[in-house]
Amino acid sequence: MSRALLPLLVILAAWPPLARGADEVAACLECHADPSMTYDLGDGKALPLAVDRAVFEKSVHGEQGLSCTDCHPGKTPDHATGSLAVVSRHELARLSSQVCRNCHDGQVAEGIHHAPIARGEQGVPACSECHGAHDVLRPKDFRTHIPAKCGACHVQEAATYRQSVHGSAVDSNDDVPVCTDCHRVHKNADTSPGALSLRTPIICGRCHTDEKRMKKYGISTKVVSTYLSDFHGMVTTLQRGTEKGEGVKLAAGCTDCHGVHDIQLTKDPRSRVMAANLQKTCQRCHEGAPARFPQAWLSHWEPSPKKAPAVWVVLQFYRLMIPFMVGGLVLQISLHLFSVARKRKP
Amino acid sequence: MSSEQIVRFSRRRRAEHLTVMVLFVLLCLTGFPQKFYTHRWAEVLVHALGGIDWTRRIHHLAGYMLAAMTVVHFGAGLAGMLSRQIPFSMMPTRKDFEDVFGQLRHYLGTAPHAPLYDRYTYKEKFEYWGLVMGNVVMVVTGSILLFPLQVTMLLPGVLVPAAKMAHSNEGLMAFLVITIWHIFNVHLNPDAFPFDPAIFTGKITRERYLHEHPLELARLEGRPPPSQGDPLPGHDPAGGKEQA
Repeated sequence: MSRALLPLLVILAAWPPLARGADEVAACLECHADPSMTYDLGDGKALPLAVDRAVFEKSVHGEQGLSCTDCHPGKTPDHATGSLAVVSRHELARLSSQVCRNCHDGQVAEGIHHAPIARGEQGVPACSECHGAHDVLRPKDFRTHIPAKCGACHVQEAATYRQSVHGSAVDSNDDVPVCTDCHRVHKNADTSPGALSLRTPIICGRCHTDEKRMKKYGISTKVVSTYLSDFHGMVTTLQRGTEKGEGVKLAAGCTDCHGVHDIQLTKDPRSRVMAANLQKTCQRCHEGAPARFPQAWLSHWEPSPKKAPAVWVVLQFYRLMIPFMVGGLVLQISLHLFSVARKRKP
Repeated sequence: MSSEQIVRFSRRRRAEHLTVMVLFVLLCLTGFPQKFYTHRWAEVLVHALGGIDWTRRIHHLAGYMLAAMTVVHFGAGLAGMLSRQIPFSMMPTRKDFEDVFGQLRHYLGTAPHAPLYDRYTYKEKFEYWGLVMGNVVMVVTGSILLFPLQVTMLLPGVLVPAAKMAHSNEGLMAFLVITIWHIFNVHLNPDAFPFDPAIFTGKITRERYLHEHPLELARLEGRPPPSQGDPLPGHDPAGGKEQA
């Protein structure tokens, strides 16, 4: 076996791209390994020019055998020094995104930050400002870093999220969502139109209807179906695609009751849907809702003799009555037509 | 003789039928997309009506009108009956229950004659009471759904989902009874096919009256009531041979 592999390995090692990669990195690092090497940017800040080989080799691009000039085209061993055409790191990152597009054009063009960048808005992150440059990770390894990355700009949201049932578990638990699981960021995220809150039954439902995942936490997977069969669910379904706006009244989606970045366990006193807090939560839309008003919502329970027996009795009554009524009428009509047919025959 | 017309429905009854018919269709068109909202047709219909908000506005308006009609109808009926200006002709009687079995026996061929009917047959009474009682259920549950805040100030909150369950199922039942029973009796029934215009014109021929409501006709004409098996000319309510 190994004897068969050996010639293959020799050929691979001599394969120009790989050979070039290793040689090239080594050649560049003759200068760029020096951690004191910086460049003074126009905005007065120092741009470090050193690259840690170990970090690069652990990055997804290092693993793939990419080398320096794949992303820094035109750089030769004797490239000019001391003259960068940029004034800030941000500007450099923006220019570098053009390089990322050579391979990742779809993700760049459909990224949520791309449109404002294309409009020329300032302070919007380009690729490397979230993903890093020489330390780009695979998506699954990048996951736990996302709240911190987004939080660098979205400070308030990230801080609230960190306190929530999802955010407080993010470092040790792969089941909880990070920012990008709910918010569309690149094309594999939800890109349907309309207000985000209207799509929460779908977004939250991706995990909360997953039997295997919810079983671990003893959470019912019927939370979405019971929501959808009630008023709010019916209206959000029919409103799907509606954009937020002046005079537009959107029905409550998951996040309108449970919170957005501040979702807590229902037994947590901070939870908006905890029994003691529910009246206040209803009043956010239903102004003046009395203390008994929250009882009108069955708290994601299906009507049964134990939960909401009154509703269950009504359901059972019609389950019997409708077939009985329809069956009786159809039977009488059949007898009527049968007698007409019999009289006409002779 | 066959062209002689008898007035069966007053102008007021015709107007009531027309209004209920229009409101019923409107309520179905705006109600069922809310019950079956996951279906594509519901989405298309709601969109055509101008969105869910407009669908509900139309539904509520039609509901208010039907509720008002129900109240006026009951009020006028009660006052009319108390002042003896309206006969108790819609009231179910012992004869109606006997007629059900008499008619079914006739359909099955075990009774030679169908029962003789007065002003309203048991079929008409069933549909009338089904509609007005259904209306009462729909108005009461619909009001709970329209005013959940006020309702829960006085009564338990669970009334709201219970009312929703009842409203949506009672509506479905009413729709099924109307499409199956009413459409059969006034359109597909061989006696009426393809369309019985009496509730719009108010009139039917004397000959048809003689077949369908012989007891009332005898009373109107001051004759003694005929009895079953009398040789009434061409009397054969289920036969459909005599097209007026």
